[in-house]
Amino acid sequence: MSGGGPPRKRNFKIEAFKHRVELDPKYAERTWKVLEHAIHEIYNHNASGLSFEELYRSAYNMVLHKYGEKLYDGLKNTMTWRLKEISKSIEAAQGGLFLEELNAKWMDHNKALQMIRDILMYMDRTYVPTSHRTPVHELGLNLWRDHIIHSPMIHSRLLDTLLDLIHRERMGEVINRGLMRSITKMLMDLGPAVYQDDFEKPFLEVSASFYSGESQEFIECCDCGNYLKKAERRLNEEMERVSHYLDAGSEAKITSVVEKEMIANHMHRLVHMENSGLVNMLIDDKYEDLGRMYALFRRVPDGLSTLRDVMTSYLRETGKQLVTDPERLKDPVEFVQRLLNEKDKHDKIISVAFGNDKTFQNALNSSFEYFINLNNRSPEFISLYVDDKLRKGLKGATEEDVEVILDKVMMLFRYLQEKDVFEKYYKQHLAKRLLSGKTVSDDAERSMIVKLKTECGYQFTSKLEGMFTDMKTSQDTMQDFYAKKAEELGDGPTLDVHILTTGSWPTQPSPPCNLPPEILTVCEKFRAYYLGTHSGRRLTWQTNMGTADIKATFGKGQKHELNVSTYQMCVLMLFNSADGLTYKEIEQATEIPASDLKRCLQSLACVKGKNVLRKEPMSKDISEDDTFYFNDKFTSKLVKVKIGTVVAQKESEPEKQETRQRVEEDRKPQIEAAIVRIMKSRRVLDHNSIVSEVTKQLQARFLPNPVVIKKRIESLIEREFLERDKVDRKLYRYLA
Amino acid sequence: MKNDADCVCNLQYKLGKGSREKVQQFMTITGASEKVALQALKASDWHLEGAFDFFYSQPQISAANTRRLEEMYNKYKEPDADMIMVEGVSQLCNDLHVDPQDIVMLVISWHMKAATMCEFTRQEFIGGLQSIGVDSIEKLREKLPSLRAELKDDHKFREIYNFTFNWAREKGQKSLSLETAIGMWQLLFAERQWPLLDHWCEFLQVRHNKTISRDTWTQLLEFVKSIDPQLSNYDEEGAWPYLIDEFVEYLIENGFVQRKK
Repeated sequence: MSGGGPPRKRNFKIEAFKHRVELDPKYAERTWKVLEHAIHEIYNHNASGLSFEELYRSAYNMVLHKYGEKLYDGLKNTMTWRLKEISKSIEAAQGGLFLEELNAKWMDHNKALQMIRDILMYMDRTYVPTSHRTPVHELGLNLWRDHIIHSPMIHSRLLDTLLDLIHRERMGEVINRGLMRSITKMLMDLGPAVYQDDFEKPFLEVSASFYSGESQEFIECCDCGNYLKKAERRLNEEMERVSHYLDAGSEAKITSVVEKEMIANHMHRLVHMENSGLVNMLIDDKYEDLGRMYALFRRVPDGLSTLRDVMTSYLRETGKQLVTDPERLKDPVEFVQRLLNEKDKHDKIISVAFGNDKTFQNALNSSFEYFINLNNRSPEFISLYVDDKLRKGLKGATEEDVEVILDKVMMLFRYLQEKDVFEKYYKQHLAKRLLSGKTVSDDAERSMIVKLKTECGYQFTSKLEGMFTDMKTSQDTMQDFYAKKAEELGDGPTLDVHILTTGSWPTQPSPPCNLPPEILTVCEKFRAYYLGTHSGRRLTWQTNMGTADIKATFGKGQKHELNVSTYQMCVLMLFNSADGLTYKEIEQATEIPASDLKRCLQSLACVKGKNVLRKEPMSKDISEDDTFYFNDKFTSKLVKVKIGTVVAQKESEPEKQETRQRVEEDRKPQIEAAIVRIMKSRRVLDHNSIVSEVTKQLQARFLPNPVVIKKRIESLIEREFLERDKVDRKLYRYLA
Repeated sequence: MKNDADCVCNLQYKLGKGSREKVQQFMTITGASEKVALQALKASDWHLEGAFDFFYSQPQISAANTRRLEEMYNKYKEPDADMIMVEGVSQLCNDLHVDPQDIVMLVISWHMKAATMCEFTRQEFIGGLQSIGVDSIEKLREKLPSLRAELKDDHKFREIYNFTFNWAREKGQKSLSLETAIGMWQLLFAERQWPLLDHWCEFLQVRHNKTISRDTWTQLLEFVKSIDPQLSNYDEEGAWPYLIDEFVEYLIENGFVQRKK
């Protein structure tokens, strides 16, 4: 501010310093000395005796009078000298005090630096940028780094101390985490490169070898589950360590070290560990262990795919054994139940332990699909399982339970490659259920049909639905018949007819047999009645599928009601007019085919509790020389005795062959239709493309055999639907 | 198999109006058949003058010769039918000094476009001899070597081979009986030397025992021509008829060839 000046005016004017004050060099030196002294005082914790204002002014003056350089250099030198002293005192510290001393001095230095920077702020803002020198604060940090951290005596000692503490903590000791935090923060403040080079890199290396050693030790003595527990614990520990006293950026690095050393390097050994590896965990439903394994393996490359592969090959192997074990195949219902149980078990594992991971679900599905189709009786057995459930297994179950069970069966159904074989069997079994009236719940039956329709389309189920319609219509027809013809029928036997539309029901060749006259009469009456109302139709009695209820009186007057098959009825009625008949006589009279007759006589004469006939000789098998007598001495605790059965059973070998043959025959036109469809739209196509297109189109029903496709193509060429291209013999052309 | 009329119709379809007029003119002047007319005109690049030169310079059958052919036909034809049948054919072979089983008879039948084995209609007989270019037994006898030589031509052999299927069939049948097929194959491939012939015939008798379809017949020739006897270039994905695939399996099973790695 100026002293004298122009005469005072109204308005106050402040003018710039006009009078140039020349500082003599001595003044600069003196000023510097003041500041130098101040710096020392600050470091000596005597800052309170200093005047901030004065020091600031001094620094300001120096810079103003172009002594910035002197100031800066002086600062640098002073600080350097100071730090060298400090480093000596740190080096002198013993044992555990080393870090504390270092930390304390660091704190001091920071405080000092702050004050110094404030004092020299003008220089920092003017001289420093223009002369491209390092700003004060940064300068202070760099000097600390160079003279303390990188001082030969301190550098390695610091690192060793830190690593040693960490190691001790890993071994279970408690260490001063706050101090550690401070030190690592110091390193970060000095620059990420310092933190990384002077601490982090060696830290990671040491950790790697530590965990490498530890994992080797564990794996020799622990089982898989326990090992994983330990690995998990170490992993969590490291993460916690980072959060407490390391820089956040280290987390990913250290965890990947642990993952690599403890998990990735031992992956295969862990998974395949005998008695405790993945397979054992699956078998024993060890959800917690599995969950842990999943979480840990997820962290390493190929971890999950390794698990998946092991699981897949285990499933396939087990499944394969299951479906090829002849013991298991004796009871189809048990067999399917076992499959369902396996599916449930693994579904639960995937949902509870593997977080519903879709890739594992897919692996499960593909494994099941693989082994279910290894056994070509699977479609038949699944149908038998459903048959059993609908016949009696679902008795008393709620609607929800029914839905659950049927849905599970549908899952198995989806795995089948030969769905058309299933359809054939399902039809057969359904027919038997409907005709014998042995279905537990109509709703359950319908529900199953709906599910099949949703899965496979209308065509699959249209015939099945037709069967239900026939049953209903038959009921109505019978009511009408009795209403109209009641007088005509009088006391004759009561007839209950099911009229089956030929196309919908499984075709059974119906060998004729001779019905007893009483039955014949009423049957003819029905036929006349039916054809009267439905002209143009043809009725054929299916004597191999019917049942009859007969009232029989035995020797001591016991009356029983016998429930028998139609064939059995024919046989029994013969004994109304004769007490004894030979096999040949029975055969002649009834004209029942030999194999059916033998089976029928067997159940009438050779089964304990049901032997309404007596056979001579008393052998177990029926021979053509046997004679049969009405068994006067028959007794039974039940009034109603069930003898005939039309229950669905596992097919015998010859029956199985026959069914399979019929299925193959049915497939031929389907394949041809597919070929024609494809060629019609594509016009020209090569052989391999046809095969793959056909397979794609039909895969919902069955897997066509390429050889069969080839034969069908040749058949179509014969019949001039297709021709080979004249130039390229692998190409086929559609002939309009 | 297409007959002359079909061929000509197709060709006529492709002819322009001017060309058709030329054909008509030619036929009127020379009295030749349509087929001959087309031949001549094509050879002379549709110049009528050149066509006449061509026609008269060829040893063509003139109208007079047609009568000689008729006489020939009548010599061999059945007394009570307008066809040459087994007896006539036998006589013909005799006169030609050839065995009825001689393959040259097949070549002749091919020229005649005969519909069925051991039968010739008037049209077939006369038209065939015309196309061969002879009008007497002696001339035909002289032509025999050159007819046999036609089998050496790849293109002609294929035509004759494919012709054989329809010709050797029973009337009204779609496929060829196995016995006949084997006989024909043996005849044809004696000329062409296929090393696997015996295995093929054996295989058919043992494994197949049914008739041969046309597709199998035609594809077999392709197989013989393109696949070497060691099957080194046989491709399973080659869309061969399944019978041939089975034959390959048969050869491998019995160790006649090595399975490809």
